[in-house]
Amino acid sequence: MSGRRPSGDVGVVAAVVLVALVLDFGLDRLVPYSSLRQLILLAFCNIVIAVSLNAINGVAGQFSIGHAGFVGIGAYTAAIVATHLHDALGRGDPTFARSFVVVPLSVLAAACFAGVFGVLVGLPSLRLKGDYLAIVTLGFAEMFRLVVATAKLGEPETIGHAFAQIGGAHGVLGPMVHTLSVMVTSLGGQNGYAGSDNLGVPAYAGPFWVIGGAAVVVMIALRLKFSGWGRAVRALREDEIAAAAVGVDPTRYKVSSFVIAAAGGGVAGALLALMRDGTPIVQPDSFGFQASFDAITMVILGGSGSVSGAALGGLFVTFTVKAIEEAQSAGIVLELRERFEWLDLNALRMILYAAVLIALMIARPSGLLGESELFSIGAKRRRMAAPAHP
Amino acid sequence: MSAPAAHASLVLKNVGKRFGGLRAVHDVSLVVRAGTIFGLIGPNGAGKTTLFNLVTGVYPCDTGTIELAGKDLTRLAPAQIAAAGVARTFQNIRLFGQLSVLENLLVAGEAASGEDGAPKRSGIRTALFRGRVAQATEERTRARGEELLRVFDLHDASDAAPLSLSYGNQRRLEIARAMMLSPKLLLLDEPAAGMNYGEAAGLETQIRWLRDTFKLTVVLVEHNMQVVMGASDEIHVLDRGETLAHGTPDEVRKDAKVLAAYLGEETA
Repeated sequence: MSGRRPSGDVGVVAAVVLVALVLDFGLDRLVPYSSLRQLILLAFCNIVIAVSLNAINGVAGQFSIGHAGFVGIGAYTAAIVATHLHDALGRGDPTFARSFVVVPLSVLAAACFAGVFGVLVGLPSLRLKGDYLAIVTLGFAEMFRLVVATAKLGEPETIGHAFAQIGGAHGVLGPMVHTLSVMVTSLGGQNGYAGSDNLGVPAYAGPFWVIGGAAVVVMIALRLKFSGWGRAVRALREDEIAAAAVGVDPTRYKVSSFVIAAAGGGVAGALLALMRDGTPIVQPDSFGFQASFDAITMVILGGSGSVSGAALGGLFVTFTVKAIEEAQSAGIVLELRERFEWLDLNALRMILYAAVLIALMIARPSGLLGESELFSIGAKRRRMAAPAHP
Repeated sequence: MSAPAAHASLVLKNVGKRFGGLRAVHDVSLVVRAGTIFGLIGPNGAGKTTLFNLVTGVYPCDTGTIELAGKDLTRLAPAQIAAAGVARTFQNIRLFGQLSVLENLLVAGEAASGEDGAPKRSGIRTALFRGRVAQATEERTRARGEELLRVFDLHDASDAAPLSLSYGNQRRLEIARAMMLSPKLLLLDEPAAGMNYGEAAGLETQIRWLRDTFKLTVVLVEHNMQVVMGASDEIHVLDRGETLAHGTPDEVRKDAKVLAAYLGEETA
C-alpha cells in the first residue's frame, strides 16, 4: 500500500543532471556544428515553454494564446540581471564556475517577474472564459512586445519616452512609472537588448543549465499535476460549479495556475536569453504571436494536459521546423528551385509544416499522448495505492 | 417519524432573490432541525433549485440571511460554504469527467482535510516538496475515499471514468463525493430524476440510511411524491417563489391550498 517512491523522480532528475554535466563539457566535441548545438539547446528551451504552457492550457483548461509574452519578460529580465552580474564579476569569459552565481539568480528573477505578470493576466480569468480570456492573454503579449519594441529614449513620439518625461513628478506612483519607463527605454527597442556596450548578453547557460533546467521543470510539472493542487485544478476545468460545491476555491486555483505557467515561461525565456551557442541579443520580435502559436502547437500535438506529451511536442516542433528548413538547402530542392524560378520556397515550407500537423491531428485527434503520461506515473501510483485483487 | 432533534441546523430568514423582473424566491423563512429529512416541494419554477443555489452560495441572496448551526453563511463563497459543512448533489449529475472515480472523491477531500487541524495540502508548496505531513494526509484522504467507495459499492470502478458508470452509479458517486466533505447538511436535488420505477422505490430507504449512517441533516427536492412523502419528516411547499404551506407529510397532504395549487393533479 505504501509502496510509493517519493524520491523516484528525484533520482531520474539527478541522472539527467549528471548527463547534462557531462554534455556541458563534451557537447562541443560531440557535436562540432554550432548550429546543431544551438538546435539541441533550443529544443530543451521549447520543452520548458511547452510544459509551462501545458499547466494553464492543458491541466487547468484555460486557453492562453499569449505565452510568448511571459517568455519574453523572462528573457529580458534574465538578460539584464545576467549582464549586470557579469559586469560585477569583471566581465571576461563566462566560466562554468561563475555560471553557478549568474544563472540561478537570473532564472529566479525571470521566474518571479514573469510570475507577477501571471497574476495580472490571471485575474481576468476569474470573470472570462474560453475565447474571451484568450483575447486578454493575446492582448497582454502584444502589449508587452509593442511597448518594448517602440520604447526608445529621445524619440518623443513613443509611449516609453512620454512616460519617462511625465514620471518623476508626484506621489508614490510617479517615480515608479518614471523608473519603469527609463528601464523600458533602455532595452534597445526594435534592435533588441545586447548587454552592456552592445557586447552581447553573456551566454552562461551551457547544456548543464539548459538540459538540467528542463529536467527540473518537467519534474515540477509532474509533481504539480499529480498532487492535490493538480486534482483541484483539473476538477475546476471539468466543472467549476461542482468543484466549488466540494470546496475548491476557483480564485485561488485559477490565479495560481496562471502564475505557475507564467513563471515557467519566464524560466524558458531566461534559458533562451543566456543559452550558449544562441543569439546574444534579446529581440522583441522573437516573442510575437507566432511564438505563442508554436507553443500552443507543441501542447496540442503532445496531448493537452500531458506533461510528457508537451515535452515531446516541444521536441517535435523544434526538429520538424528545422528539418523542413534544412530540406530547403538539399540538392534536389535547389535544383527544383533553379528549374522553376517562380517557386516560393517559404510558402512551400509552411505548407509542408501544416500538412505534417494536419496528418498528425488526423492520426491522433487528442495529441500524441492524450492526457496520460509517457510512463503512466498516475496509473502506477493508483494501482499501488489500491489493495491487490486476487 | 423518527425522533426530531431539538436544535436547528439550517435556518433561512426572509430569503429573497430576483432575476431581472422574475421573483424567483420571495421572503422564504424556514427552519430545518438537525437530524431530520426535510422535503422541499412545489410545481416547476417554484424556486426550489434557486433556494439550493442560494444556500450553497452559487447566487448571492438579495435579501435575508442563511445560517448553518449558528454560523452565518449569507455572504460566503461556494467553496467556503462547502468547507463549512454543506454538501449537495445536482439535478443533472455533475461529475468531473476526465478524473477517475476515486479522484472525484479526492478533490472533495481537499476541503475536508483541513478540519482536524491538519494543514490543507492543496497548496503548491506541499505539491512540490511532499513533506511527511502532506503525504500522511494524502494517504488518509485516499484511504477515506476508498472506504467511501466500498460503502457505496463503487470500489471495483475506482480507476474507471465516471461517465462509463451506469446512471444509478453516477448518482451514487455524486453522493459519495458529497460525503467526502464530512458534511453536516446534505442537499439532494431530485435524486429520483431519471430513475426507473424500481430504482425510485428503494430511494426513501436509502435516503434514511444515508441520514443515519453519516449523521446528516437532509434537505430533499423531489418531484416523485411517493419518495418525498415517504422519506421526509417535514415538508415545505413553495409556489412561485413563496411559502405555500409547511408541516408533516400528512398535514401537507390534507392542506387545501396545496391540493389546489399542486397535489390536486398529481396524487394518484
